[in-house]
Amino acid sequence: MNSGRVFAGCGTALSITDGTPASGREVSVVGRDSIRLMTELKERPSVHMGPQKILEVRDLWLKFGGNIVLTDLSFTLSRGEILGLIGPNGAGKTSVLNSITMFYRPRQGKILFKGKDIIGEKTHRIAQLGIARTFQNIELFSGLTVLQNLMVGRHVRMNAGAVSSSIFFGKACREEIAHREVVEDIINLLEMEAIRDKRVGSLPYGQRKRVDFGRALAMEPDLLLLDEPLAGMNVEEKEDMVRFIMDVFELKQMSIVLVEHDMGVVMDIVNRLVVLDFGRKIAEGVPREIKHNAAVIQAYLGSKST
Amino acid sequence: MAEPQTLPQFFLHNCRQYGESRIAMRVKDRGIWKSYTWQECYERVKRIGLFLRKMGLAPGDRVALLGENKPEIYWAEMATQAMGGSSVGIFSDCGSQEVKFFVNHSGATFIFAHDQEQVDKVLDVKAEMPQLKKAVYWDPKGLWSYDDPLLVSFDEALVEGREYEKDHPGLFEEMVQRGKPEDIAVIIFTSGTTGKPKAAMLSQGALVSAARGFVEVDGYGPDDNYLSFVPVAWITEQLIGVAGSIFSGFVVNFPENAETVNDNIRELGARILFFSPRQWESINRMIQSKILATSWIKRTVYRFFIPIAMNVSDKRLNRERIPAGLKGLHWLGQWLLLRSLRDNLGLSFLRVGYTAGSAISPDILRFFQSIGVNIKQIYGSSEMGLVTAHRDGDIRPETSGKPLPGVTIRLSDEGEILVRNPGMFVGYYMDEKAYQEKFRDGWYCSGDYGHMDEEGHLIVIDRMEDLRSLGNGRKFSPQYPEVRLRFSPYIKEVLVVGDEVHSDPCCLVNIDLDNVGRWAEANRIAYTTFADLSQKSEVVELIRGEIRHLNKTLPEEARLVRFLNMVKEFDADEAELTRTRKLRRSFLEERYADMIEGLYSGQDEVEVSATIEYRDGRKGTMTRRVKICTL
Repeated sequence: MNSGRVFAGCGTALSITDGTPASGREVSVVGRDSIRLMTELKERPSVHMGPQKILEVRDLWLKFGGNIVLTDLSFTLSRGEILGLIGPNGAGKTSVLNSITMFYRPRQGKILFKGKDIIGEKTHRIAQLGIARTFQNIELFSGLTVLQNLMVGRHVRMNAGAVSSSIFFGKACREEIAHREVVEDIINLLEMEAIRDKRVGSLPYGQRKRVDFGRALAMEPDLLLLDEPLAGMNVEEKEDMVRFIMDVFELKQMSIVLVEHDMGVVMDIVNRLVVLDFGRKIAEGVPREIKHNAAVIQAYLGSKST
Repeated sequence: MAEPQTLPQFFLHNCRQYGESRIAMRVKDRGIWKSYTWQECYERVKRIGLFLRKMGLAPGDRVALLGENKPEIYWAEMATQAMGGSSVGIFSDCGSQEVKFFVNHSGATFIFAHDQEQVDKVLDVKAEMPQLKKAVYWDPKGLWSYDDPLLVSFDEALVEGREYEKDHPGLFEEMVQRGKPEDIAVIIFTSGTTGKPKAAMLSQGALVSAARGFVEVDGYGPDDNYLSFVPVAWITEQLIGVAGSIFSGFVVNFPENAETVNDNIRELGARILFFSPRQWESINRMIQSKILATSWIKRTVYRFFIPIAMNVSDKRLNRERIPAGLKGLHWLGQWLLLRSLRDNLGLSFLRVGYTAGSAISPDILRFFQSIGVNIKQIYGSSEMGLVTAHRDGDIRPETSGKPLPGVTIRLSDEGEILVRNPGMFVGYYMDEKAYQEKFRDGWYCSGDYGHMDEEGHLIVIDRMEDLRSLGNGRKFSPQYPEVRLRFSPYIKEVLVVGDEVHSDPCCLVNIDLDNVGRWAEANRIAYTTFADLSQKSEVVELIRGEIRHLNKTLPEEARLVRFLNMVKEFDADEAELTRTRKLRRSFLEERYADMIEGLYSGQDEVEVSATIEYRDGRKGTMTRRVKICTL
C-alpha cells in the first residue's frame, strides 16, 4: 500500500468489477460530478420494490459457556431502511453487530444476508459480501494518515495481483486512481479535506470517529452497521455526524443498522426500532409506538417501587 | 473592438487574447488542483449570463452572491456585470435574517447560494423575499431531494444558457459592449459598526481605475498567482481579486475550504496575498506558539536570529546603513532560519502581502518585514475606495503609506481625514441623504482621525467617533493600545475603555485560548474551560506582564491603569464584532457596563452574569466572579 500519491494522466477507470465469480456484480464509482450524481439518483429505480429483506436474523442464540448473551433474537431489515437497535448498557447490542459480522459465532439460529445464510463465514468474506461496520472504540491504523486509512477500506474492491502491483504502471496505477477518486469523494462528503494527510493517531476523538465512518463507506457496502457513531461527541459534532449519515442514506439508499444511545437522534432518523434488554428483544416497532411502550420504559428507568 | 472600459470588456479582451493558452483560475477539488483557461471561463460566464437574461435579468438589476470563494462565485459576478447588472456580496456566515435584509435592501432578484447551508438560509426566509426569481447553487451535497421551484443548479443554468445562446448568438458580446463606466458594478454593504449597514455603490469606472492604480504601484502580470479566500463582500477582494485579476490577467486560485487555506498557500507559492490584520496577527501568534512548543535548539536559533533580522529590517526601513558584521549575521540567519520559516508559511514566493481593513500593530508589520515577507499596508474603505498604499522601498510601519495616483487628501480642523478620489463610490443605494451627509465642500469625510507626516505618509489613528476625551480634555484613542496589545500571542482581543467620567484608561481582555492554554500546560497549571483559565491568578499575572510591557511605550496619560480578563470571548454571532471582526464599541460598552463599572469601582472582583446565545438559538446565562487587576 503506497502513500496514496496519484499519478495524473494515467487515465481514468470508471467502473470496477467485483471479481468474485459468484456475484459478478459491477460496482460503479461513487459520484463524479454534480450532473452525473443527480441523474444517477433520478434514474435509480425505487429500491422499495416489494419489501426486499436485506438482513434477516432468525431465532439467534449467542452463548459463551454458561453466559447467554443473546436469547432467541429475531428481526429483519428491508433494503433502504434505517433500523435502530437500542437498549440499556449490556443489553447485547454490540454483540448483535459482532454476530452479523461473524466476529462471534452463534451456534443456534440463522442470519440471512440477501437471502443467504452467513453463519460460519469467515470475517473477510463478510466484508466482501458487502457488510461494513464502524467500531465503538475506533479500530483505525493510528500510524497511517486519514487518506491511507480510507484507502485500506477500498481493499475489498482491489483486484490487481502481486505482479501488477509491484510493476504498478498500467493496470495497478489505473485502479489506484479510481480508488483514490472514490476516497476523495468520501473525504469531500465528510468534510475531511483539512485532515486528509494527518496521522490518525494525532486527531481528536470526534474526527477519528468520522474517519472510521469514512472507512466503512469506502467499502461501498450494501449494509452498514453503525456502533454508537455519536458517542463522546458534543452537540455540534453530533449534528455534523447525523447530517453525514443522512446524506449517505439519501444518496445511496443505504440500509443501516444503528446502535445508539442518544434517544433524540434515534427517534428522529430511524424507520423502525428494535429494543433489547438482557439479550432479549422486548419491543419492536416505529418510534412513535416505542416511546410509549411500557416494557421499554421499565427497562430503561426501572419499575415504580410499591 | 473599442478600448475596454468596464470589467466585462476587459474580461472579454483577456479571453480573446489568452484563450486556451493561459490559465485564468484554479480550484482545489478532491485533492487535485483543477484549472480553467480563459476560454473555459468565458464559456461559463457567457452561459450563466444568458441564463440570467433568459430568467429576466435586466440591466441595472441586482444579483446577490452568498458563498465561499469558488470559481462559480467569480463567474456569477462576471456574468451579472456582463448583462449590465450589479453584484451584491453577502458574508457567508450571516444568518437567514441578515440574508433577508441584504437581499431586500438591495432589491436583488437572483441569488447564487453556494451549498445546502446557504440554500437553507434562503429557503427559510423565501416568503419574505418575493422578488427573488431564482436561487442558483453549485455544491449539490445534501440538496439531492430538494425540489423547491426556486432552486436551480449551476450545471442546469449552464445548459439553459447554452440553449438560449443558440437562439440569440452574439447577444453576450453585444451586452458587454453596451457597458459604460458609469454602470454600477458592485454594491458593497458597509460593516455597520454603528447601526445598520449601508449599501455603497461602486461603478465600473471606479473599479477599473482602482485596479489601474494598483498595477501602477505594484506591477502585476499574467504570471502572478493570487489566492482568493477573502469574501467577495469585502471591498478589498473586489479590488484586488476581481478587478485586479481581470485588469492584469493574473491567475486566481481558490482553496478547498476555509480550513485548508494555509496548506493551499504553501502548495501554490502565491505571489500576491491579502490578509486582514487579524489574520496576520494570527499567523504571528501561530509562529510564537509553535516556537514555544518546539525543541530547545530551534527555539534558541529563533531567539538569536529574529532580533538580528528585526534590527536589519528596521535599519533598511529607516534607510540607515547596515554594518558589515550585522549583514553577515543576517545572511547566516537567512540560511539557518528565515528561508525555512517563510517556506513553512508558504510565503517563499510572495511578492507582496497586503493588509487592510483596520489598524495593524506596527510590530506585526516590522516582524513580517524582518522575516522577509513584503507586507504592505493599504488604507481605504468601501466608500472611499483605495486611498493610500505603501510603495516598495518606502514602507514605514507606523503609517498607511502615500496617496495612490489620482487621490488627494486633506485634513479638517478637527483632524479628520478628507478624501477626493475618482475611484470613490457613487452613492448609497436608496439612501441619497446619507450619501450627501458624507461630503463637505466636495470632500468625502472619512470619519477617521489622523495626520500626515513630513514625508507625505498618512497616519491613521482611529475612528473619529471612537476618540475619547479623558478627564482634562486629553484626546485618547482606544484603538491605539488595542492594536498594539494584540501583538502579544496571549491576547486575542481587547476593548479599551475610558472617557471624561472614567478618566483612567482600562481594558477588558480576551485571552487567546490556544496560546494561553499551551502556556498553562507548560507551566503545569490545570484548567477546564476558557472562563476558568481566564481567571487563574497565574494567567492574570501573565496578562499583567504583557500590558505592563506595552505601557512602557505609551505616553504617560495614555497608560492603562486596570484590566480584567473576560470570561467569554467577543463573538460576531452575538453582534459584538462586525463580520470583519471590528469591535462594536458602543454595543460592547453597553452590554458589559457592569464589568466596566467594576473596573472603576476600586474593588478586586466583580460578579457578572452574561447571557449566551447557543448556535441553535437557545439562550443561557453564566454567572462568575471576575478578577480585577491593577497595573
